[in-house]
Amino acid sequence: MQITASTHPEAADHDFHDEGHGFDMFGLHPPTLRRTIARGGWLCDRYFRTRSCGASEIPRSGPAILVANHGGALPIDAALLCLDAGRATGRIVRPIADRFVPALPMISTWFARLGVVVGTHANVGRLLARGELIAIWPEGAAGIAKPARERYQMKEWRVGHAELALRYRAPVVPVAIVGSEEAWPVLGRITRLRRFGVPFVPVPLTPLPLPLRHYLYYGAPIALHDGLDPDAADDPGAVAQAAARVRLALANLLRDARQARAGRFV
Amino acid sequence: MNVLVTGATTPLGRAIVDHLLASRAVGHVLAVGQEHWGPGLPSDGARFTYERTDLTRARNVHDLLHGPARAHGIDTVLHGVLHRAVRDRGDRVHAVNVEATRLLLLGCGRHPGIRRFVLRSGAEVYALRPDEPNLLDEDHPLVFEPAAPQWLRDRVEADVLTCAQIAAGPMSIAVLRCAEILAGGIGSQLWDYLGSRVCLRPLGFDPMINVMSVEDAVAGIAAGLAAGARGVFNLPGFDTLPLSRLIAWCGRRDVPVPGPLIAPLYWLRTRTAGFAFRYDLNLRRFHLGGVLDGARARAVLGYEPRHAVVPPPGHAAAS
Repeated sequence: MQITASTHPEAADHDFHDEGHGFDMFGLHPPTLRRTIARGGWLCDRYFRTRSCGASEIPRSGPAILVANHGGALPIDAALLCLDAGRATGRIVRPIADRFVPALPMISTWFARLGVVVGTHANVGRLLARGELIAIWPEGAAGIAKPARERYQMKEWRVGHAELALRYRAPVVPVAIVGSEEAWPVLGRITRLRRFGVPFVPVPLTPLPLPLRHYLYYGAPIALHDGLDPDAADDPGAVAQAAARVRLALANLLRDARQARAGRFV
Repeated sequence: MNVLVTGATTPLGRAIVDHLLASRAVGHVLAVGQEHWGPGLPSDGARFTYERTDLTRARNVHDLLHGPARAHGIDTVLHGVLHRAVRDRGDRVHAVNVEATRLLLLGCGRHPGIRRFVLRSGAEVYALRPDEPNLLDEDHPLVFEPAAPQWLRDRVEADVLTCAQIAAGPMSIAVLRCAEILAGGIGSQLWDYLGSRVCLRPLGFDPMINVMSVEDAVAGIAAGLAAGARGVFNLPGFDTLPLSRLIAWCGRRDVPVPGPLIAPLYWLRTRTAGFAFRYDLNLRRFHLGGVLDGARARAVLGYEPRHAVVPPPGHAAAS
């Protein structure tokens, strides 16, 4: 199944909670988001020739969490996922960023206007409580800049997404992103440059990402909360089990997706 | 309900007194301040008394609580005294901000008739860090940095001092942490900042700022006085917008400047033009922003911000 070009050219504003001046409390500004999608769409459609499969699995309303693998020198996979899921559903996808992002000049402001929210429980909890669609990469910054030999091997798996899914009774949609972990091979990381709290600076092999075709495979939604009450979110065992379930589902999806693709460049 | 209002001579204090006198649920209002009340007593003179006293002295606090307060049957105290001038510092300022709060708290706790104590605090007590949420709830960390300016340390100390007494006795205590009230004469740093025709903003940062109108502050404080609930409550304002939009909204010129240059530029300006804005007090806020989460106040006090801020007119830079 291939996604068509922009099925929802107007980024849906029904997920948008205006605080009175055209911005939501986290700084999202729909006109900026629309402009960025319009200008950056070619990256998704022409350069990476993104194909997606199963986007119909994403709930069209209510709280939901997209959970994906992470890779590449920069979070291009995150941009592609948000663009694709947004086009397919007409919803605004709220990507969850690592905690060093607000300290980055320019980037922090731009990201905020596009709907990026820092990954703290209070922030993410508020988004889910008001029924928004969020995207989380549980590998975190460790997933970025993986060495080429570790591509598609999931790194440290954080469990916050499972806890939030249980607490806010939000379905989790695993998303396998294939292509991103090979498109921009990384030679190494510079860990000494800790400017603005950035944990490391990736050193890519090429100045630009390679034009590999990207595939986004959406799995069936997982209702982690089925049979559990919201208090299960306070049980470390239940949360770890739920997170492992998501990880396994994503690993299987990733394996199937890699087997299914015709080739890296085609 | 008979209410004692401290800091009553400030614009906010006067607005609160007027609001209370307009309410049928309030019997008598005992306003307290250090200055003369000035021209024009509130219209309902029979229900209003003004006492001029210095709350930094234990004897004065005792005499106030066991004299006029007892005579008028005061059962609720609203403490809103905070030294406004950001340039002032030293023991006297500390006494006004912290000692007066401590003495009044202790006095009210021992008073036979006072059942409710409400402190007006502010959002500035919250520590802003990149790894903390943008949404500031009541459990958010406070500023406990020794290097913080006295203006800030005093406010945190008064807030924590009151919080420590919340569960200590039979008196019902509430701490109301208000968003920044964008109005003159209230000690608003943003008001002073926006008083200048050119506003310097850190290059690359445009944080979300939440501001409150005097009307909402009065409504929130009145809700806090009327409710019997103990605890800390955030009172957010109606307007949440990026700093650049706020500057434009107020008709000022937004000039992004590399962060390290702003502090010396504003310092120079303070020295030469008597400008009251201090960049070091606002540095974190101008980089990271932060919006108060008013969910608890909405659920418990029934407070909901409803009034948009009126953008400041072209007031003088030095206020």
